Amino acid sequence: MDLNILSDALFAALAAVGFSSISRLPLRAYPYCAAIAAIGHSLRYLLMLSPEPALHIFWASLIASFVIGALAVLLSPKAHTPAEACFFPSLLPMIPGMYAYKAFGGLAACVLNDDPDKFGYYFYQFASNGFVCLAVLAAMVVGATLPLFMFKKIAYQATR
Amino acid sequence: MTEAETMKTSEHDTDKVRELLTDYAGWLLGCGATCIRLEKNLRRIADAYGQNLELTITPHHVHIAIADRRDRVVFTSIAAARGGVTSFDTITRLSAFSWRIADTDMNIDEARRHFDSIVSEKPRHQWAVAPLVALANASFCRLFGGDAAAMAVVFVATLAGYCLKLWLCGLHTDIRLVFLSCSFVSSVIGASGYFFGLGSTPQLAVGTSILYLIPGVPFLNSFSDMLHRFYLCSLGRLMDALVLTACLSIGLCAGMMATGTGMF
Repeated sequence: MDLNILSDALFAALAAVGFSSISRLPLRAYPYCAAIAAIGHSLRYLLMLSPEPALHIFWASLIASFVIGALAVLLSPKAHTPAEACFFPSLLPMIPGMYAYKAFGGLAACVLNDDPDKFGYYFYQFASNGFVCLAVLAAMVVGATLPLFMFKKIAYQATR
Repeated sequence: MTEAETMKTSEHDTDKVRELLTDYAGWLLGCGATCIRLEKNLRRIADAYGQNLELTITPHHVHIAIADRRDRVVFTSIAAARGGVTSFDTITRLSAFSWRIADTDMNIDEARRHFDSIVSEKPRHQWAVAPLVALANASFCRLFGGDAAAMAVVFVATLAGYCLKLWLCGLHTDIRLVFLSCSFVSSVIGASGYFFGLGSTPQLAVGTSILYLIPGVPFLNSFSDMLHRFYLCSLGRLMDALVLTACLSIGLCAGMMATGTGMF
């Protein structure tokens, strides 16, 4: 299990660094993003482990993103970047991309299938994946933004 | 108005301040800043030069009403989003720039020069982005439980798709067509694990090969704007992100149909 957590943290850090390069992150912010993403993603992994605590992806994402947001706000003055430049890239590996693509795939399959049973199945895929995707996204942003409200002075003066 | 504000603006034309505020708003919006960041930074600069400011932010424009605190003359302008590419580096520099104006006696001409140097700076290390994105997507595949073979397939599929994206964007192709084409190409290459019997998780390679196209920052910006009650911009950004996600899903479905692989 320990190795799994380490591997989860390592690959989350790599994913955060790679995806944040698309958004042209300042060079000095990469180490902070990698560290925050590793901590956040491995925390979500731990929270979703069965049999205990086995939290749903929604609650696990909410808690992990709160930790990501708090770390980003506290570290952003050191990185000398706005807090969201630290936590947005760190959140990217947690974006429920698989749910998003299954939702749209389900929608496409609905359109292409006339059979009521198949239509019902694909509509279920579309709705369940779509709702989970949107709910997890909302949880991630709420969780990561809460520390911005809590530590407004630090968050908005990081580049001062 | 404080003595410092009077000193800054009395020497210079307020038109230059308004022009700077308009251009600043356009660049910050175009670089993907959240609405709350845009509002705070613009107010900071306006305060420093003795101006009052009201904003309406839409996904591609900022409507600005600037009122001089001395003569109460109101000036309105519309700033179109500039830049067109999400850049946290530019957002960081522009935020630091707004603080510098607020904390020092920087006059408007000096501020203009500083601003122009920030927005004219070319992005660095762009050659490293494509391999980094490919590595990131391969790591994503691993996080979903993919094996080494699936990771290698995803790496190649992402690299090809991302290079195609850069090429098509260079030709100023419609972004929706870019997403559709790139997801098609990536999913076809991602399906090679099925054809050549590579590894035990080829289905994950297909699914993950297009995830680098998910518009993560627009999704996060949209929800962040919603939390800060910028509903108009939030819904616009959400629609933009959903349309792009729909385009990449159509490309993926077409790729799956072409290669005879299934999703569910």
